[in-house]
Amino acid sequence: MINDRFKYAMLLSSLPLHPANLFAAKQLPVSRIQLDKRLAWLDADDARHLEQIEMLVHWSKISDQPDDLLFKHARTELDAIDSAFLKEIVLWRLELRTLMSALRRRHSGETSAPTPAFRGFGKWPALIIRHWQEKDFGIGHLQPWLPKASDLIEQNKTYELEKMLLNRVWQHYSRIGCYHYFDFPAVVIYVLRWDIINRWSSYNKEQGLARFDELVSAGLADVSMTG
Amino acid sequence: MTDVIVILGWIGLYAPMVLGAIGSVIGCTVAGQAAIGAMLDTESGYGRYIGVAAMPSSQVIFGIVVMFTLNRNVTAEVAPGIFAIGVLSGLALLFSAIYQGQCCASAIHASKAKPEIFGLSIVPAAIVEGFSVFAFIFALVLSAGI
Repeated sequence: MINDRFKYAMLLSSLPLHPANLFAAKQLPVSRIQLDKRLAWLDADDARHLEQIEMLVHWSKISDQPDDLLFKHARTELDAIDSAFLKEIVLWRLELRTLMSALRRRHSGETSAPTPAFRGFGKWPALIIRHWQEKDFGIGHLQPWLPKASDLIEQNKTYELEKMLLNRVWQHYSRIGCYHYFDFPAVVIYVLRWDIINRWSSYNKEQGLARFDELVSAGLADVSMTG
Repeated sequence: MTDVIVILGWIGLYAPMVLGAIGSVIGCTVAGQAAIGAMLDTESGYGRYIGVAAMPSSQVIFGIVVMFTLNRNVTAEVAPGIFAIGVLSGLALLFSAIYQGQCCASAIHASKAKPEIFGLSIVPAAIVEGFSVFAFIFALVLSAGI
């Protein structure tokens, strides 16, 4: 009789809240090991759905296959998601990727829409093909961030672009999560936001430099030993 | 027909207790799960989480008191009154316990991250408790007139 909206009260209460500002996060709120321990409390069906969604959304879980196969696989997995709300979460992310893919292909020198038809998700592929030469693919009024993203790509400002995209995804998840506290969509949103923090923290400049120094030191040590 | 009316009277007599108990079971379960989860994520304040999680248990106590107040020789004359007051007050206790449990779960979740709002966070649960007290008190008042 417990309402589905409170199905995962224990699981979600056991997890630390995410920070309001993604870029203020200096470290992960909870380790993946601890997170996986909590996620073990999910029903078998919900666990399977979460895995499906993570497979679709995260690059690290996407296998190295040709585009056509990836597209077909993603379409099949997307159709297998029962919940309209969860499907919308995934589709929104794939639409974002579709737009970014188009921007990057155009920047790489493709002067006309790729043939055969540009592959992508959601409602944008047809418009992208039709308005390939326009800076915002003719949908800037619906996606106001597109011109800025296009500028950042043109200027090769990859760090700023990544930051803008991650923040956009972060804010989107935060907004749609407002009405979900203890249900399965709340769990999904929590995990997806955790992945964003994980990704952002792995981009840490100081850590990157430290790691780079470690690698250089290790390389130099090898050279001196062999020399 | 008289037998049916008397049976309804007995249902009304037991209803406030059993409906209150069902509500308390669900409310305490939801709030209790949130409390257990919060204890896994925090290092202190365990007692107050459990205290808040127990708030929805008051409805079953109200239900017991209403049941004893309604308890009398069930006849065809008094059975309709017992049925009406018992079932309706029982439903009020049932729903107030369930929703109070949800308020408590939210309060626990919120105060875990921000302990300074603990007092304020349980106000919604206290307001819901107030409504169940209304149902309880007026069930007692009306039962005197049966």
